[in-house]
Amino acid sequence: MTATPHKTSNASRTAGIPFLLKTAFINAAIALVLFSLMVGIRTEAGSDGQLTYWTRFGDLAALVGAVFGGSIVIELLRQWIGPTGAEKLVPPAVQSGISFIGRYLAPALLIFTLLVPVIFYNQRYILDLAILVLTYVMLGWGLNVVVGLAGLLDLGYVAFYAVGAYSYGLLATSFGWSFWVCLPLAGILAAFWGVLLGFPVLRLRGDYLAIVTLAFGEIIRLVIINWQELTGGPNGVSGIPRPSFFGIPLDNSDDGLAAKLGIEYSPTHRIVFLFYLILALALLTNWVTIRLRRLPIGRAWEALREDEVACRALGINTTTTKLTAFATGAMFGGFAGAFFATRQGFISPESFTFQESALVLAIVVLGGMGSQLGVALAALTMIGGFELFRSLENYRMLVFGMAMVLIMIWRPRGIIGHRAPTVYLTKAQAISSDLVKEGHG
Amino acid sequence: MTSAPAPLLAIRGLRAAYGKIEALKGVDVEINAGEIVAMIGANGAGKSTLMMTIFGKPRARAGQILYEGRDITDVPTHEIAHLRIAQSPEGRRIFPRMSVAENLQMGADATECTDAEREATLERVFTLFPRLKERYVQRGGTLSGGEQQMLAIGRALMSRPRLLLLDEPSLGLAPLIARQIFDAIRTLNRQDGLTVLIVEQNANHALKLAHRGYVMVNGLITLAGTGAELLQRPEIRAAYLEGGRHG
Repeated sequence: MTATPHKTSNASRTAGIPFLLKTAFINAAIALVLFSLMVGIRTEAGSDGQLTYWTRFGDLAALVGAVFGGSIVIELLRQWIGPTGAEKLVPPAVQSGISFIGRYLAPALLIFTLLVPVIFYNQRYILDLAILVLTYVMLGWGLNVVVGLAGLLDLGYVAFYAVGAYSYGLLATSFGWSFWVCLPLAGILAAFWGVLLGFPVLRLRGDYLAIVTLAFGEIIRLVIINWQELTGGPNGVSGIPRPSFFGIPLDNSDDGLAAKLGIEYSPTHRIVFLFYLILALALLTNWVTIRLRRLPIGRAWEALREDEVACRALGINTTTTKLTAFATGAMFGGFAGAFFATRQGFISPESFTFQESALVLAIVVLGGMGSQLGVALAALTMIGGFELFRSLENYRMLVFGMAMVLIMIWRPRGIIGHRAPTVYLTKAQAISSDLVKEGHG
Repeated sequence: MTSAPAPLLAIRGLRAAYGKIEALKGVDVEINAGEIVAMIGANGAGKSTLMMTIFGKPRARAGQILYEGRDITDVPTHEIAHLRIAQSPEGRRIFPRMSVAENLQMGADATECTDAEREATLERVFTLFPRLKERYVQRGGTLSGGEQQMLAIGRALMSRPRLLLLDEPSLGLAPLIARQIFDAIRTLNRQDGLTVLIVEQNANHALKLAHRGYVMVNGLITLAGTGAELLQRPEIRAAYLEGGRHG
């Protein structure tokens, strides 16, 4: 009666031995039934086509024995680190370590990212991979506005990526406009298409919205394939100009940046430039999203995700709120598309399949909807992981499927499910007095 | 507050329907500035529909809604809140994943008010519901039912309304908490001059609180009178008080 919780847990552990053996026996029996035919008897077509068979009871016994032993081990592990050991699993020191990492992870990652071209200057492969990862980080952050903040499930995000890429590709090849002129245009055009998509889906939510956006993504791709005169159809657009350093080309000519700076030309310069370009674009996306979250429009997006009826009762125009979410997300997709076009130099409809939409959505969901850091980590894991397991070819999709299922079991809200609030008591007062002082109030 | 002779809100012959099902069949209601008006009736009588129709969702099929003498029957839903009419909807409908602070801020976002005004309103909400101040950084979804109701009312107050529409504020709350909510509504009315339309199934509480009351049955107003009068009516006592769950 006076047993402490610790003692009772000990008692239950010792009392568990018959239970342990019972479980192991049951598992072994099941294994025996299953494997007796699968492993115990081997059948084969004989030389004359007749069925021959022979027994492999040795293998069967080994398997059943392994199941018996294995279930004892698993059961023991479950009892040690299971419900009673939940706290022991994460000691306070580790917990404080995790929170320490959590606080400094984002700045550390940013500094590391800034230094990537310096550290890996001679490793072209890693630089290319880093650019690819950053492109997906940017796409993830862009889609995060629509899916994570506004809660509008968009399965056709690649459409805006395509619009951005083709906007830049066509404007640059037809009119010879520079990247820096086309970049905002690509964003504006993508945002325009975002609004166009937004109108018909204003009344839709959840599954229905997902279907329509999926169709929209396909429509854009099919239009690109079939509108041969404008887009070149399946042949794509080639010869897309490379970006210049504000008018100074990054090539081996006398006007090139290397010549002007008086350093020796290297093709890596362009790669490094592209790296910092996409990093800047991605950080811009991040910064704008963070700023918007603190403004009424960003709060309205999040409120819309939570409860549309309450939003209307509070005087929020749900129409404009949804359309701005679509437009903002699409604009960033357009920027990323323009970058993609200038990096590749060649675009074709094949780059804008549903698989891209699914990949970006997976990044957002796995990362934790609404979490900027989570999305960045998920993009790094997914895209980096794809490359890491490239040698495994057939198995990597299997591994990714498994990883996704496991993450959804353990962290159903994504890698970083925590959502930082944007309104604080003291902060709000400080801001208000500042504004009043400056006469904005 | 104002000594305008016309009622703050006048509803004339209001009809509304969901598809073919008519929920309001010609409702006349008047609410004077500074009053608490209770709307009581059984489930499905159309009380909540009336409140939603004032906000334009669903739209009125016929009739008029006059607010401060202006016809607002066809004003878009999201603009109603700008007219300083606020609503605490049925089932509270707070934003569960957003913090208490953000929920309150959402109430203020849609209206044009200075930061000083907003701070003052926030202080007022905290005086009424000190629990919200304690829970300021918590997520809305982690609050208890009573706290969520306080948050829903607080959020509505943040838009500095002249008319507050409350839909079933005592729904699912312990009697003690419900009493706290009703006390806060009374304080708001007495001290701040807030006009309140309260929809309730808890007829006893609502009629004691209200200056006047209406009884709604099947989309029609069947009885009207002061709160005390209605409490004494035998048909009210029979239908909503004695033997009722809330008696």
